[in-house]
Amino acid sequence: MNALTSLPTAILETSAARILLAKPKARFSLRARGDLAPFEAALGLSLGGPLGTRASTGSRETIRLAPDEWMLHSTPSDAAAIEGACAALYDAHPHSLVSVSAREVTVVIEGPRAAELLTIGCPRDIAKIEPGSGRRTVFDGVTVILWRDAEDSFRMDVWNSFAPHLIDLLKIGARELAAEVA
Amino acid sequence: MSQYRVSGKGRVDLSKKINFTFEGKSYTGGQGDTVASALLSHGVHLMGRSFKYHRPRGAVAAGSEEPNALIGTRRGPGRFEPNTRATVQDIYEGLQTNAQNKYPSLKFDVGAVNDAAYMLFSAGFYYKTFMWPRSFWDKVYEPFIRAAAGLGVSPTEEDPDHYASRNLHIDVLVVGAGPTGIAAAKAASAEGLSVVIVDENREIGGTLLSEPQAVIDGIPAWAWIEQELAALKAQGVKVMTRTTAIGYYNDNLVGLVQKLTDHLPSLPADTPRERMWRVRAGQVVLAQGALEKPLVFHGNDRPGVMLAGSAQTFLNRYGVLVGKRPVVLTAHDSAWYAAFDLADAGAKVQAIVDVRDGVSEALIAGARDRNIPVRLSYTATATKGRLRVKSLRVNRMQGGTVGAAEEISCDAVLMSGGWTPSLHLFSHTKGKLAWDDDRTTFLPEMTPEDCVIAGASRGLWGIEAALNDGAEKGRAVAAALGKAGNAVSYTVAEDRTGSGVSMKELPTDLSPGKAKAFVDYQNDVTAKDLRLAVREGMRSIEHVKRYTTNGMATDQGKMSNINGLNIASDALGRKQPQVGLTTFRPPYTPTSFGAFAGYHRGSHFEVTRKTQIDAWAEENGAVFEPVSQWRRAWYFPKGGESMDDAVRRECATTRKSLGIFDASTLGKIEVVGPDAVEFMNRMYTNPWTKLGVGKCRYGLLCGDDGFIRDDGVIGRLGQDKFHVTTTTGGAARVLNMMEDYLQTEWPDLNVWLTSTTEEWSTIALNGPNAAKLLQPFTDVTLTEENFPHMSCVECEVAGMPARLFRVSFTGEIGFEVNVPAPMGRQLWETLWEAGQQYGITAYGTETMHVLRAEKGYIIVGQDTDGTVTPYDAGMGWAVGKAKPDFVGKRGLARPDLVAEGRKQLVGLVTEDGSKLEEGAQIVFDASQPIPMKMVGHVTSSYDVGTTDQPIALALVEGGHSRMGETVFIPMPDRTISAKITGTIFVDPDNAKLKIPASAENKGVAA
Repeated sequence: MNALTSLPTAILETSAARILLAKPKARFSLRARGDLAPFEAALGLSLGGPLGTRASTGSRETIRLAPDEWMLHSTPSDAAAIEGACAALYDAHPHSLVSVSAREVTVVIEGPRAAELLTIGCPRDIAKIEPGSGRRTVFDGVTVILWRDAEDSFRMDVWNSFAPHLIDLLKIGARELAAEVA
Repeated sequence: MSQYRVSGKGRVDLSKKINFTFEGKSYTGGQGDTVASALLSHGVHLMGRSFKYHRPRGAVAAGSEEPNALIGTRRGPGRFEPNTRATVQDIYEGLQTNAQNKYPSLKFDVGAVNDAAYMLFSAGFYYKTFMWPRSFWDKVYEPFIRAAAGLGVSPTEEDPDHYASRNLHIDVLVVGAGPTGIAAAKAASAEGLSVVIVDENREIGGTLLSEPQAVIDGIPAWAWIEQELAALKAQGVKVMTRTTAIGYYNDNLVGLVQKLTDHLPSLPADTPRERMWRVRAGQVVLAQGALEKPLVFHGNDRPGVMLAGSAQTFLNRYGVLVGKRPVVLTAHDSAWYAAFDLADAGAKVQAIVDVRDGVSEALIAGARDRNIPVRLSYTATATKGRLRVKSLRVNRMQGGTVGAAEEISCDAVLMSGGWTPSLHLFSHTKGKLAWDDDRTTFLPEMTPEDCVIAGASRGLWGIEAALNDGAEKGRAVAAALGKAGNAVSYTVAEDRTGSGVSMKELPTDLSPGKAKAFVDYQNDVTAKDLRLAVREGMRSIEHVKRYTTNGMATDQGKMSNINGLNIASDALGRKQPQVGLTTFRPPYTPTSFGAFAGYHRGSHFEVTRKTQIDAWAEENGAVFEPVSQWRRAWYFPKGGESMDDAVRRECATTRKSLGIFDASTLGKIEVVGPDAVEFMNRMYTNPWTKLGVGKCRYGLLCGDDGFIRDDGVIGRLGQDKFHVTTTTGGAARVLNMMEDYLQTEWPDLNVWLTSTTEEWSTIALNGPNAAKLLQPFTDVTLTEENFPHMSCVECEVAGMPARLFRVSFTGEIGFEVNVPAPMGRQLWETLWEAGQQYGITAYGTETMHVLRAEKGYIIVGQDTDGTVTPYDAGMGWAVGKAKPDFVGKRGLARPDLVAEGRKQLVGLVTEDGSKLEEGAQIVFDASQPIPMKMVGHVTSSYDVGTTDQPIALALVEGGHSRMGETVFIPMPDRTISAKITGTIFVDPDNAKLKIPASAENKGVAA
């Protein structure tokens, strides 16, 4: 395994924020247009709403990234079920379901100043990302998907090769913010 | 207490004694002192030498506009900074400072010979003086100019500090925390609006810090500041001091630089030195105030000559008298109050000299009460003194003539040429300015940004006017954001309102041609220089500025702009608005490179992408090279091998037996949907309809213009599913290009693109033993019959889910195994171990380049340069001519793309067996006169491969029809002749691509 996947789950904790690497999960890029109802029925997830809207059922959760694009997360053991459910729809409802489970990792950022920590690399207004929603945005110039789970809890999906760079900046920032608190 | 410190005055805490050094000598000051105020408290005015003439200079101002008192600061190794303004640098225990532009010492400087030779150094002197003889340029003039040029000395050590940046989204940003800004922030901070107020100074208050006599709504100014600061904080306003708004950019983006540690005696851990804030504000209030102008007269730069308002600041804010016997020289009422304040603090003001013939009775009475002699309708014509002013020469003006001179003995000259509204940030917004003839200045008119400008920066004068304008503008921005804002109004007692006149250089009875009357102190530009520029043909102020350097560099017109404009417009005989105003450019004050770089330094300078196999390569001694953002293994030297030897061994082993290569960085795009094949047909030059599932094809991608953009092998994994590969550097670009076409040209196509570059680790196996190595790990039967060249399949390899491609970029039997990215290293090590029986070699990008060149396979971007068509590259076979359309089809039909004599890709073999240099130019006739007609260049060249002679690829005019001809490559030392050949140097029949029939090649399950 490379340096990244051999990273411990907890990466750094300061008084400002905690940075962790999430466990591996099944990830799919779903692209579809037209009637979404069959997909919603097949996956058990609501796919509507404005960009950044999230939905979850059981271990499955999704975020709408574009009018015809969703990121879908679940447990690794659920991957085959998701693929099967979508494959059954293909002929009547053409779409693209591509596994990106191995493409990226998820960094968890939480703690009292987690939102502020994100401002060191993300030009978006973090305050406008409501808890329970998310955005595809950039962090330190790299495309990421940001999930806001609570006021002070975020997840950031990033492609493997960019992760060490981003984690490096998050660590610098978490220390910097902690020094400010002190 | 030091000699010039006034008891009971100022905000400096002298109970906290702070030691620092200037020019190696120790001085003391108090908490709240700047280097300038502390030095002045000891009577030290000489703080530097000027840039061009090396004239002795002292602080002329008290704030960030200071042009003269530039010092170097040091706090231990690496922490040296040149050109710090002594007027803004706080002192702290142990601070070391030095003057600049001096040799051998500040008090005796040999460079000051320039001052005596000033006739040589007039405006444009570089252009005039260093023209002849031509041969002197390289050895004499240029080194001289380079040695003389530049302010201060560049740091030589790496900066150990770190720098930070943050984004901030707020409703209202207020720039400047003087009375205007404070009132604006207060008015705007209502109904939950988020408000930030910033000020470059260590504390808020602005002009109120220098005018403690003012009483606002019954509260003395300094108490009022305390009260308002507490109130702002209570309302949730973020108050940021030591924070400069350096630039105003599109869509209300304002850059702030916050200085965090430059004032601290010891550096706290994990704390950056500076932080760049990128603020996006709904509304911005600019309250930058006004800057005082100098008066322009001979000797106006002598140490001790300074702005009257600054002297007032040094007294009232720092408790320092800049002189005990000052003379005041002014064109504005404000300097009278400076004279009064200094007199009241014990200075013996020698005279108030005013260029105007009348001022208010109140001012005259104020002077009379303090026994200050007054001279109205006077001009100043010279100063005396070497390292410090000791007298001012003044003359009565009568009916336009300059009368007899008299000398007034003094130890300081406090001048005021009036005040210039600070329009810097407003101008950054591309705001329109209007000339105000009454006030002889530009005032703000319109801006395209959501921005208002308030107080003295729009020409208002007096604290009450500033406060009420700030409050009104604060409410206005709240209203623009849909809120009412706080209604506040202010009454100010002891407000010092007044007016003045704006001057060009002061009239003189001395020779104006010999006058050193400085307009821009920092660049040593005099009134005479500006007039010379006009005489020599400069008409626009922008030309005058560049010819003379007036207002350039860090000044950005802060002190010199209006004086320079007045003089230029007088010389041109035109009104100021017809001459124009130079552009104010960001940053507002000098900004460190560190603040701009932020976190991007050292190991965090730029993203370095690494594959999952990178760590193995590092452990096994690979030498790396950067390929776009990736670092890739370049070659794997063994036991002290040179690069050439390593590559030679890697090439030979791969051709003879087996090589393994990390191809994970190749771009990959999953193309899925019922219209996938149609999309591929339109995108790539090749036809795709007949490509069967489980087969691959080499694809060529052109731009609209018909030139090659990218290439790669593409596998059809299903009727509606393609696995596209791109070049490493082209991955993101190709995906964007495809998305662009899909979204703008063909939204009707039911097809979607997903980047899978990082989904897969890709391992390439090449060599005669590649199939033998792989066979035991898969149940796919790796025979020529079952899995021929250009096949692909989804299968398992070594128990891992895999996409297996039979492709070759070497001309050998080749496979590319894709497994889920994190499994890459495990597969690599499995294959590496099993490959030992075949003497497997790991090879890097260099061997890959050599082996593919031997087969004539191009590398896009090396053998093509954006002007090469598929036909030029000898790949017309990849163009589906029967297709109705594809990207580049029209472009390829353009007359110049089908013309004869285009540069075409060919092979070159040198006649003397030497290796050509990549990039070397090619000619047909080596005996033609210089400049020769160049007909092409070498694109790839190698002598470490498996051919018995060096090989090269080249683009040559009409090359395809010149096979066997000789061309010439002129080099600095000789001319090399080479024969044009085909591009395939190894195995032209592709015999080696085939897997020989053998019983071993059976799937484990077969």
